[in-house]
Amino acid sequence: MGLLALGTALDWPDAKKQANLVRSWGIKVRSDFMLSLLPSVKAGKANDAMEIRLTPFPQQLLEIWNKAKGKERDAMLWGDEVEYLVVVYSKESPKVLLSLRQADILKALENIKDVPEKAADGQSTRSPPVFHPEFGRFMLEATPGKPWGIEFRELLEVEPNMKARRRIAKAHMLPNEYPITLTTFPRLGVPGVFTEPFYPVSGPKLRSQFVPDEIANPHIRFPTLAANIRARRGRKVQVNVPVFRDEKTPWPWKDPTVNYDLHNWPEDDDVRNGAAPDNYIHMDAMAFGMGSCCLQITFQAKNITEGRQMYDQLSPLGPIMLALTAATPIYKGFLADTDVRWNQISKAVDDRTPEELGEKPLKNDRWRIPKSRYASNSTYISEDPRLRPEYLDPDLVIDESIKQQLLDGGMDDRLATHFAHLFIRDPIVIFSEDLQELDLTKTDHFENIQSTNWQHMRFKPPPADNNIGWRVEFRPMEIQITDFENAAFAVFIVLVTRVILSFGLNFYIPIRKVDENMETAHARDAVLTRRFHFRRNLFPPSRPSRSASSRSGSGTSTPMSTSSGSSTPAAPVESEYRLMTINEIINGTAYARANSQYQRQQPDLQQDDYDHSDYLEEEDFPGLIPLVESYLDSVNVDVTTRCQLARYLDLIRKRASGELWTAAHWIREFVARHPRYEKDSVVGEEIAKDLVGAVVAIGEGKGESVWGVDKFLGRFVPKDPIH
Amino acid sequence: MAKTTKLILSTGYTSLSVAHLQSPAQQLTSPRNIVSDGPSIVRRSCSPRAKNNPELISSLRSSFHSAQQEYAASLLRDTPSATPNGSSSSLPAAITSSNRPPTSAWTSEQDNVLYIPRIDPPTGLSEPPQHYNLTAKIFFLPNTPVQSRMSYAREALSLVLQELFPAQSVDLLVVSFPGLSFTADCEWEADRLNALQGNDAEELATWPAVEELHRSGLARELGVAEFGSEKLARFLEKVTVRPKVNQVNLRNCCNVPPPLAKLAKEQGIELLVHGDATEVVTRETLEEVLGDAGVIGEKEEVWPLWVVKYTAVVRDRGVIENKGYFVGAELVRRE
Repeated sequence: MGLLALGTALDWPDAKKQANLVRSWGIKVRSDFMLSLLPSVKAGKANDAMEIRLTPFPQQLLEIWNKAKGKERDAMLWGDEVEYLVVVYSKESPKVLLSLRQADILKALENIKDVPEKAADGQSTRSPPVFHPEFGRFMLEATPGKPWGIEFRELLEVEPNMKARRRIAKAHMLPNEYPITLTTFPRLGVPGVFTEPFYPVSGPKLRSQFVPDEIANPHIRFPTLAANIRARRGRKVQVNVPVFRDEKTPWPWKDPTVNYDLHNWPEDDDVRNGAAPDNYIHMDAMAFGMGSCCLQITFQAKNITEGRQMYDQLSPLGPIMLALTAATPIYKGFLADTDVRWNQISKAVDDRTPEELGEKPLKNDRWRIPKSRYASNSTYISEDPRLRPEYLDPDLVIDESIKQQLLDGGMDDRLATHFAHLFIRDPIVIFSEDLQELDLTKTDHFENIQSTNWQHMRFKPPPADNNIGWRVEFRPMEIQITDFENAAFAVFIVLVTRVILSFGLNFYIPIRKVDENMETAHARDAVLTRRFHFRRNLFPPSRPSRSASSRSGSGTSTPMSTSSGSSTPAAPVESEYRLMTINEIINGTAYARANSQYQRQQPDLQQDDYDHSDYLEEEDFPGLIPLVESYLDSVNVDVTTRCQLARYLDLIRKRASGELWTAAHWIREFVARHPRYEKDSVVGEEIAKDLVGAVVAIGEGKGESVWGVDKFLGRFVPKDPIH
Repeated sequence: MAKTTKLILSTGYTSLSVAHLQSPAQQLTSPRNIVSDGPSIVRRSCSPRAKNNPELISSLRSSFHSAQQEYAASLLRDTPSATPNGSSSSLPAAITSSNRPPTSAWTSEQDNVLYIPRIDPPTGLSEPPQHYNLTAKIFFLPNTPVQSRMSYAREALSLVLQELFPAQSVDLLVVSFPGLSFTADCEWEADRLNALQGNDAEELATWPAVEELHRSGLARELGVAEFGSEKLARFLEKVTVRPKVNQVNLRNCCNVPPPLAKLAKEQGIELLVHGDATEVVTRETLEEVLGDAGVIGEKEEVWPLWVVKYTAVVRDRGVIENKGYFVGAELVRRE
């Protein structure tokens, strides 16, 4: 997330009035970082907005699109974003706290521009990393100073660079502050003190009974975002996550931290009206979701066509990578029955009204909307002939009038549909300064909507100055505890994109199956106990490749089969995919068959959901890692680079097969074996402190002594201190 | 009396990308329809003793199969009398009876060279050649005359450059001599054994021909494959144009024999990883593949002479745009 301009953010009733204006301007575009979305302003109610709706709607978007649709041959550049929690920890203190000194730390970090980092080879120097604020005031985000290329040696610089970022961040903190890469702080929102400094809960913006308003970045955008989501929704967000039922967990379980007697705000009625159901950990603020750390990767495509192809092809991988990177088993001091952060963020920013949710008949709102604005992708966007209409969601909600304006502006149907879907949302944060005139040299109104549609992929048009290409962001992965792991997953996804383009792979399955997979990915140890819908045959149909006519002569597409099954009747879509374990998807059927013992050991294995004999019955699936290896065999890679890449692939291979634990699994086991754990799902102060202490120790190269680290990181336990 | 015909076999890229992850079992035994069997990968074999590059064999099969299908499809298109209700019944008898069209339909013969399948006008590169990293690797095979290697190399490279039109040269030409590998598990042992492999005299006798390709501008840089430290040191002493690259296929790529790593560093030679089988294709396998495709009969033998593998990778995007193989062979018909 980039730096934010300051301004006068509109509170919800005012923002709502301007929603259509922003929507309409947004579709024209500029590019700083004002953000937000807009809801549906009912026709007739907002007169000023109505007028604008009649003007060319997608103005900024069409402007960008027209300017950039012909961009060609952009290099493969990419960037990673690593997010940290900042904790206050020392062996002596009885508890670990979240540090709210984000602003001071960022200020200290502004001066690092003078400190060029030595690159891996010790010769070249890279630009220093860039640190950014995030939603949580206890968070920090760091990106490389300039994007990475695809030169293989450069891939080796990612891990040292990530370590350097962490080292630099730590160097600008107090001695007892540490940047750690847990997805969530285990005791965020517990009764009592969990931040440094302490602030009381129940502030005017969040109105949360668990976290203070000061938990959010004080930049006006963030509290406004939270407040306007709540206001639009008409009540607080409800982030309910099922509690893990252990031996001594009372059942039914009632979240003991919920206060039913609070009367500061109208929203305090929420819990009295059933917002906190039995057997769920109840949370009530955006911070519980947007306070999660993740690992996001953004790629530059060579042109818009390739960007759209990448968006589509990476979509089905989203849930797989989410389950594989699972790292989020604790919320608000309790063990959850899920392993990943995704749905909690989704609920934490769900601004849908009761009408949109389908709880009330549609009266003031325009649509029923099936998903939160933070959710898995709802549509595919490529004009790839391999995209069969059956893959798309027939009930996709779109703003028809916006789509029409995009079509009138010359955009093709599929892309217009995508944006018309994003634009069903209201802008949440609107700055009054931006409403004075429509500036077509900027993209702010478009970004306002785009950047508050948090789908698991994001298709990013070039910025206003057009010096960057079309980009695709891969957003589902959970942050990992060590930079080795983060580099491994980042580089893996980069290599997968190269494999997709080089071999013309086809991962399409119906988009609703991707949704289903996203839900499946939440299960405890989904990586070992669940199966996911995945395409059986990734390869282009075998067709003659030599005749010049069969390959696109446009020069715009990398080798991929452009001739879909037009000449042969297509097989039913249902026959194109089947259920696979992640082991099978990542490592291939042969490896999965030979290494299924870790899955068999799973106590939670559901026989009806997962049957090992399937490995014998199903046809072989090649596996993503063997595909990556095949790609690496086809390009010139030096020995050193290949060895390092092999370590990354080995980590991922073993996580997928269960030879190594996910972070979520390790954390669960760590808690379960802690002497203070009472088998009642409660993660108390001491456990949380020791868990964070273990994470800090791993970061300091003292991980060897940490419990269970061999099963979690194997031979990849960092030996050198990061800090 | 034996009658010989020169053969040029080719894979193309699409066939290769579909087929190259088939399981070795299928590649070597399943006579047809391998593509529709679905990809069934087995992990890349690192065994340096592996004979027959599975990627090459499976993509040859796939390439032949595609060419036959294409021919069948064109027959269908050109047969207006095909009944609308019939599917297989409307196929020409030539296809339905043997499940494959006649060889002459999908191959071409020119100047006593049989192209299998026929080579259509190449698509060429979609961007200017300087945007690519173009690599060719020529495999000289055992039991082929050293004095022919010059002409083999020229022929191979010319086919590659034709395919990669309008490129005038490759960036790297790697030469693979027969009999070289790192065979032992122990890294030191492997390096030691390597010193005794191959045939130094033949390798040195071949090199001037390769140097000539470099001098005439067809290959910017030269490389060798599977040279251990001793062989490489001996080689470097005697050649005029030094190889810039040594490709190694190690069982565990992280166990580079230290003497080799040291030598490469001192001499500025880049050690690249490859996954090619040492003996890229055998006579038996080639005969089986061509027999299955209906190209040869029982009285015919096929002797592989050389293999060339080529790759075109878009430099700043890391995308393989084209990759494939040509195989030069000799068909001997016993009267």
